[in-house]
Amino acid sequence: MTSPVSLRPDPAAEPGTPRTATAGEGSPPASAAPGAGALRYRRLGVRLLSIAVLLVLWQLAASAMRNPSFIPSPRAVWDQLLLTSTVHDGIRGYSGHLLVEHLGLSLRRILVGSVLGVVAGLALGVVMGTVPWIRVVVEPLVTFVRALPPLAYFSLLIIWFGIDETPKLWLLTIAALPPVAVATASAVYAAPAGLVEAARALGATRWDVTRDVVLPNALPEIFTGVRLAVGIAYSSVVAAETINGVPGIGGMVRDAQRYLQTDVVVLGLFAIGLSGLLIDAVLRVAENKLIPWRGRA
Amino acid sequence: MPSPDIADSSTRAPEVPAAVDVREVEHVYGRGPGAVTALGPVSLTVPEGAFLVLVGASGCGKSTLLRLIAGFERPTSGSVRIGGVEPVPGKGAGVVFQQPRLFPWKTVGGNVELALRYAGVPRQQRPRRVPELLERVGLHDVADRRIWQISGGQQQRVAMARALAGDDPLLLLDEPFAALDALTRERLQEDLRQVSAETGRTSVFVTHSVEEAVFLGSRVVVLTRRPGRVALDIDLGLPRTGLGPDELRALPEYASLRAEIGHAVRAAA
Repeated sequence: MTSPVSLRPDPAAEPGTPRTATAGEGSPPASAAPGAGALRYRRLGVRLLSIAVLLVLWQLAASAMRNPSFIPSPRAVWDQLLLTSTVHDGIRGYSGHLLVEHLGLSLRRILVGSVLGVVAGLALGVVMGTVPWIRVVVEPLVTFVRALPPLAYFSLLIIWFGIDETPKLWLLTIAALPPVAVATASAVYAAPAGLVEAARALGATRWDVTRDVVLPNALPEIFTGVRLAVGIAYSSVVAAETINGVPGIGGMVRDAQRYLQTDVVVLGLFAIGLSGLLIDAVLRVAENKLIPWRGRA
Repeated sequence: MPSPDIADSSTRAPEVPAAVDVREVEHVYGRGPGAVTALGPVSLTVPEGAFLVLVGASGCGKSTLLRLIAGFERPTSGSVRIGGVEPVPGKGAGVVFQQPRLFPWKTVGGNVELALRYAGVPRQQRPRRVPELLERVGLHDVADRRIWQISGGQQQRVAMARALAGDDPLLLLDEPFAALDALTRERLQEDLRQVSAETGRTSVFVTHSVEEAVFLGSRVVVLTRRPGRVALDIDLGLPRTGLGPDELRALPEYASLRAEIGHAVRAAA
């Protein structure tokens, strides 16, 4: 949000008269227009209402079907939430791990895989964007890997690295790398000539230009790539946990499917979906904090 | 108003001869049958301390000449020298472009600070120099603002502060006020004239405005249409200091110079 005070193009408020231009500068930006708050509440209300309607429909479908193995009732899923989140009759959660432990381990895998993939993708993207022949050589490979479904190369990773943590992290890293590399490469390649020239006119070295102009300028696009990469890592983790995935939310869902515990499957879907929304929200907030100039320059 | 001690420090700075020497320069864009000769041949020498204004219709090669002097491009033939050496971007000349070209990921102060860093000013001195430079171009209390929070005229002032940061003996300005509204433009012209008189820095200023040329220049060179050659080279001989903007414009010589240069520009276009 920008302060409306500073945006006026009025020539009278221009530099020569700094006092008028800076009046009220220290005050926080004016809040949104009146009525925006009401609109916000109404939107929240509509959302809550739609969730309630979905719950009712779900309950109706479950009652009509009368087969909890096909459609478990909301109540059954809720009970599973409680069961998998506690130690009961000496059993700890599901398959010996609490729901948060399953979810936590999956999120840890996503985090490690994404970080590795983003760092590698960033480095590769910068090199691809600056050195034309590397771009020519590497781009088809990156596009090829990007087009592969992660599950397709998972078998190869299993053969190479066994069935423990290593192949899972490799899978997520490889899945997260291409979107970041492609976004970084195109943004670095398209660095604005005017700004680069301005930096050079100030005495910037080649490295200065990359660090102070090219990379910051690419940041908005890089961030879009990162969000994409995290999303892909997120959807790949369930695939990665189909083999030796317990503890892990994907492993939990897979086990539950084997024993026809449909309520646990649905619970797992909720856990995955909701944490995904949360992660995307966190990334959005980080984006606004890190890239305040997005859309303004 | 720039404080006197800042003006002092910069009048001391140019120890190297700042003269620009352009000799038989010709510049061609492209190759083969599609090649366009944009400029020349042109020869010019700018003595130290002069404020040279290059005037001409758009497409006459005046911006090309400035880019050659800045070292962004090499002439197809002929030679360009600044203080006796071949120009290299970032060495010996501060440049102000038509667009401010500020970095939006930095604050106003951050942009000036970066320029000081590139100029080799030690880290400890920069926090003191940033407000000095901003005040020299008539900006107060904007160091913490974001680029999009200040007006176009203020942005161009920041670009000027940035170009002054290096204490280079030469200042190159490529239609810096062309994109501004009339009132803002006039104000920036007045302030630039003042800053220029105080620092005594050799400047080359490109414009298509005859009025701007007469108001700012100590010497005016009119270029013909493409390929640009020198059509008129005139020392204005107007007082550089001691007169307010209105008094300067009221001088009879001012009007006749404006008429003469205006006539030359129209004849050359």
